[in-house]
Formats: sequence, C-alpha cells, structure tokens
Amino acid sequence: MKTAADLKVNETAIIKRIDRSHPSYRRLLEIGFTPGQEITLLNRTLFNDPISFSIRGTIFAIRKEEASHIFI
Amino acid sequence: MNYTETENKIPLIAIAGQPNSGKTTLFNLLSGRNSKTVNYPGSTVEYSVAPLLPKFSLKAKVIDSPGIISLVPSSIDEKISIDTLYSHPELGKPDVIIVTVDASQLSRHLFIALQLIESKFKIVVVLTMTDLLLKKNFNISAKKLSETLKCDVVKLDNRTGNGVNEIVKSVNKILVSSHNVSEVHFHSHPSFDKDDLLLNSYDAIGQIEKDVLYKVQSQLSETELLKANEKLVVLNSEPAFLKPDELTLKLDRIFLHKFWGLIIFFIVMFILFSSIFYVAAPIMDLVSEGISLLSGYTVTLLGDTWYGNLISQGVINGVGSVLVFLPQILILFLLLGLFEDSGYLARGAMLIDKPLSLIGLNGRSFVPMLSGFACAIPAIMATRTIPNRRERLLTIFIIPLMSCSARLPVYALLIAFLIPADKPVLGGLVLTFIYVISVFSSVLIASIIHKIVSKYSRRKDSSFILELPAYRKPKLSNVIRNSYRNARHYIVKAGPVILMLSLLIWVLTYFPNTEPQVDETGKTADEIILLKNSERVATSFAADLGKMIEPVMKPLGLDWRVGVSLIAAFAAREVFVSSLALIFKVTDDGDLQNSILSSMRNATFRDSDQKVFTISSTAGLIVFFVFALQCISTLAISRKETGSWKVPMVQLFVFTLLAYIAALITVTGFRFFGMA
Repeated sequence: MKTAADLKVNETAIIKRIDRSHPSYRRLLEIGFTPGQEITLLNRTLFNDPISFSIRGTIFAIRKEEASHIFI
Repeated sequence: MNYTETENKIPLIAIAGQPNSGKTTLFNLLSGRNSKTVNYPGSTVEYSVAPLLPKFSLKAKVIDSPGIISLVPSSIDEKISIDTLYSHPELGKPDVIIVTVDASQLSRHLFIALQLIESKFKIVVVLTMTDLLLKKNFNISAKKLSETLKCDVVKLDNRTGNGVNEIVKSVNKILVSSHNVSEVHFHSHPSFDKDDLLLNSYDAIGQIEKDVLYKVQSQLSETELLKANEKLVVLNSEPAFLKPDELTLKLDRIFLHKFWGLIIFFIVMFILFSSIFYVAAPIMDLVSEGISLLSGYTVTLLGDTWYGNLISQGVINGVGSVLVFLPQILILFLLLGLFEDSGYLARGAMLIDKPLSLIGLNGRSFVPMLSGFACAIPAIMATRTIPNRRERLLTIFIIPLMSCSARLPVYALLIAFLIPADKPVLGGLVLTFIYVISVFSSVLIASIIHKIVSKYSRRKDSSFILELPAYRKPKLSNVIRNSYRNARHYIVKAGPVILMLSLLIWVLTYFPNTEPQVDETGKTADEIILLKNSERVATSFAADLGKMIEPVMKPLGLDWRVGVSLIAAFAAREVFVSSLALIFKVTDDGDLQNSILSSMRNATFRDSDQKVFTISSTAGLIVFFVFALQCISTLAISRKETGSWKVPMVQLFVFTLLAYIAALITVTGFRFFGMA
C-alpha cells in the first residue's frame, strides 16, 4: 500500500488511514493528520529524511519512518 | 462592574494554546515587563507569571504556559504543562483560560480550544495571525465562531496589540459571572484518548471551519478588504481550504534545498558560533578584568588577611565566575531567538536531524552541541528547545565533551611544552586532532548510551514531528525579553551554586596555613605576597588532597602539584595554568607562559631527580583535559536543567574515569614507543 513517504515532491494525496500500532499514531491525528485530509509533500532534504508536508494550512516535518505509516 | 478580589484570592488567568500560536506576545501585552519565571515543583518545566498591567484595572495574575497540542499528554513535560492548567500546586487552578488560536491554521488550533471547552473550562478564544489569514485571501468571522463555541472570541492584532482591551473585558465578564457560582468542577480526566472521539472532534472542527471562514478578493488592500467583505460571506461555493503561506513555500525551496539548504545552514551556524566565540570574548575579558581590578583593590583595602582574601579571592572571584558567562548566554539567546522567531531554526533542525537521529539525538540537538565548543553553560541552557526529554538529557550529557574555549589556554600551554615554537604547523595539527577526538568521542558515547537505553526501555518514543512555522520578521522586543529572562534565570538559579562551589575551592586552596612563614630578606612586597600565596597553596587542604591522590597521579607520570592544580581547575579549566604557576613558584616577569614552561622543564619528583613533565605525561594531561568535566559551573547548570544532582554526578564520575583511563592509555602508549 502506498504511504506518504512514497509521494513525490509537490504531489498531493488524501490520507486513507494511519497505522494504529505506531507510537506516534495519536500525535499524528492530534496535529491534524486525519483520514480524508489532503496532504502535499513539500520538501525532501539532502538525507531524504525528515520530509515536510503541508496539511490544513500548516507545514510539518516528520521522519520518513512516521510518514511510512500514513497510508494514502 | 469589575470583579473584585475576595478572600484574598486573586483571580488567575492562564494562557494556553498550541506552540507558535502567539501566547507569549499576548502574555507580554497583558503583563508588561515585571514577570517572573516559576518551575512546576520538582520539574524543569518553566513558565512566566505576572500581575495584569494596572491600565486594565483588573487585579489578576496571568500565567503563560508552554505550548500544548492536546490535553492528552505524550511526554512528561507535556503532562506537567497540562497539569498546570487543571491545578497548579502553588497557584491553584485558573479561573479563566485564554486560548490563543492561530486563525491561519484554524482547524489544528481549534482542536485544543474544543478540548478545553469540553473540560468545562471558562475560556476566551483569541484569534491571532489574522494578517496571515488575509494574505491567504481568507477572513474569519469572530461573531460566528463565538456563536458556535458559546464563548467570547476576540481578534488580536499581534503588531499593534489592538484587541487586548476586549480580551480583558471578556475575562472580566467571566470572572463576574462565575463569582457567585459555587466551585466549577472540571473533568479531571477527560475521555479524549478515545480515537473515535478525536476523529469526531476533527469532523466538528471541519464544519466550524466551513462556517466561519470566508474567501476575500485579493486585489483590495487589507483595510478595504476588512470593510468590504465583512458581509460578503461566501457559503457553500467551495470548502474553505487553507494552504500554507506562499512566501514560506518559496523560501523553503531555497532553505530546504538539497544542496543550497545545507550550505546556508552551515553559514548560519558559523555566524552563530563565531558570535558566541569571538564577539563574546572581548566582553568576557572586560568582565574578568573588572573583577580582578575589584579583587586587587579589595586586597589593598583589607590587607593580606584571611577575610581580605575571602572577599577578594573567594567572593569577588566567585561572583566573577558567575558573571563571566553572561555575555555568551545573552548573545547565544539573542541569536537563537532571532533564528527561532523568524522560523529558520526549525528548518535547521530538519536539515540535520537524520545523522543525529542515528545516535539517539534530535535535529534540535545541533545548536546546543555546536555552542558547547564555545562554552557548556549557554549550550546546556539551549537544550530547552529539544522537546523530547530523553533526547534533551542525552544532549546535556555529552555537551561537556565538546572542547570549550576555557580549555584553550590549557592546551596552548601544554602544546607549547610538547612542540618547539619554530614548528607552529605541528602545534596546529595537534590542536585540530584534539577537536577531532572531542567530536568523535561525543558521537561514540552518545551512540553507546543510545544503544543501551533503547535495549532496556519499553517505550520507543523518539519521534520528530516538527512544525515548520511561516517565515516572518522576528519581533525584537520579544527576543530581547526572552534573552533577558534566560540570563536572569541563570543568575538566580545557577549563580548561587556556582558561587558556593567556588568558595569551597577557595577554602580548600587557602586553609589551614593562612599565615605562611617565608624568607623575606631582600625581597619586594609583591614578591613576598607571591611567595606567601605559593606557600599557602603548597600547604593547603588542596595540597593534602593532591598528595592523597598522588598514587593515582603517579601512573600518569604526574605528581601531587599537578593534582592540586587539577583540583583548583574545577573552579574553571583555565585556572589550571595560573594554579600551576602558583604552585611552581613562577614569577610573572612579563612572559608568564615561558616562565611556566621553564619551571615545568625543571620540575622533578620529590624523592628523585626524575622529571615530572615529559612528552608522555604532558600528552596524557592533554588527553585528560579532553574528557574530564573540570568545571563546577557546568555541574551547576546541568543540575538546574535536569532538575537534580543525579545527571551531573554521573557526568562527573563517568567523564573523570574516562579521562583517567584515556590519559593512562596515552601515557603507556607513548612510553611503549620509547617517548618517555
């Protein structure tokens, strides 16, 4: 299944679900990464990790490991 | 009508909200300058408390709490911030909570407001950053939001402070109305931790957002927009969909660029580092000179008596060793504040997070670690920006390994002993090598601790969820106030400990032989004082200690006199040089370093004519200084920032042991290769 970590720069997708077993699951929901929400991958840096996303008018940098538990 | 205090209870107003929602700006508008910083009992979480400014004619206290994302904590520090909202052990529970909501990120910031309403708090919602919202061609109806949330909603202009009177009015309204009502009961443990509820509340927020946000045309100016479009509510046409600030997106393409991003990052870090290293240096010298002038003056005034020396050597120098760090602390926090406020620091943390995450650190650890190469004191204070407690503690732990500037005078002397003056390149190489070991060992130790901790800990909580706020012009007054607060806090909290420990070291090096007998024939007054000082140290408690640890020093090829200097150097590492001069009875005839060097070349052990300072023992001493935590100020600040003596004591033990073993290996190695 495709995850947010697979997006290309400037590619937009809708969040399907977030892996419930991940320790950051709750925090991701709380900051607005909710199913049905649109996210856009904005930047990948030299190390390709963390990755920045735009969601609900805010930009967040999250580690690739976390992004790979956000299913799109 | 104003609420008046009864039963000596001054109403308490708490400001809560997400990080970067404008809490501190509002706090400053409400409280002016005279705030004080308080800790939550038994923790290092801090917030500011202040009375409301008299101009609002409402007697109340305001507290500014650290930013929270949700009422369900995900870290120890966050739990404490939330507990403060429910009831602070000393201040009680807040009567009103002002929730700052960034209007340009409405849905995310309404989340915490809704949770507070559900917890039955009396709240006033303050909409901030409405200028950013207008830039995104949206406006917000405070009236509609107020109707939906059933609480007062006020727009606040961050730049002009317009709206702050309305906020106080709303707060007062709540205080008056709840005045006669019996105790308000809070749900002390709200059931927010159910995922479905969480998703429901975001659904509800989505609906609210649609109702209160409306699109405006972008061709008009801001004031025209406000007037013309207040009634022109666009409904149903398209859902209000907030996008990040355009300028921010463009700037990020440069600042987070794969190649240029990193180059800019290193330039910014270079500016930061050279400021605390080079800009602070002359100011620090000025402080030191002032202190030694004052100290000298006191001795002349009180004479060479024990109390004269207590005041001049003990107290004044002790105060000096507190004050000498102030320039670096102020400069570091000024620059950090500017970079943080502009939005850049979060980007820097993102750029460098990957390599640091491999050794259990965080992108936010970089600035504190870099600052450690100037001085560990401001560096450890700067770790407050690391949200995760474990990563913060690990960063604090390894900072003393960074080769700070106080070690330079020691290295300069010891390298000058090892390398002939006509080979400066070789000396430079040795110094570079010292810095390389410093970096390498800190990485190694961090990763060892990281391995051990992750093996034995159940919770894997290393996450990096970092908001990259919109770029904006830093608000200088906030930045200055913040550096001032940090500096004052350092003096109040770490100052007394540093002073006490310096006094202890003074006692150790001054007593018990306070009036040493020296041969005064044919000597000038200054020479006599110098001889007395030298004799006093040589017969002091520190000397006894030095002789006691001589069996430990012997394997390193060093004698008790170096031991005494090492003990004295706990006051500050550079004291090692002056202390060595004192104990080897070196007279300062214009070139102190060369005088010490020749004394060192001639120094032999008590019971033989074997030389103390050899290539091997001096190299060992250098290595010792690379690792050893020879600094009471670092211990004091580490205690303050970690909340107990536990971490600094472990640091002291581990780094001293490490220093000793590393020095022993070096000495043995040099001897093995025939370089005794």
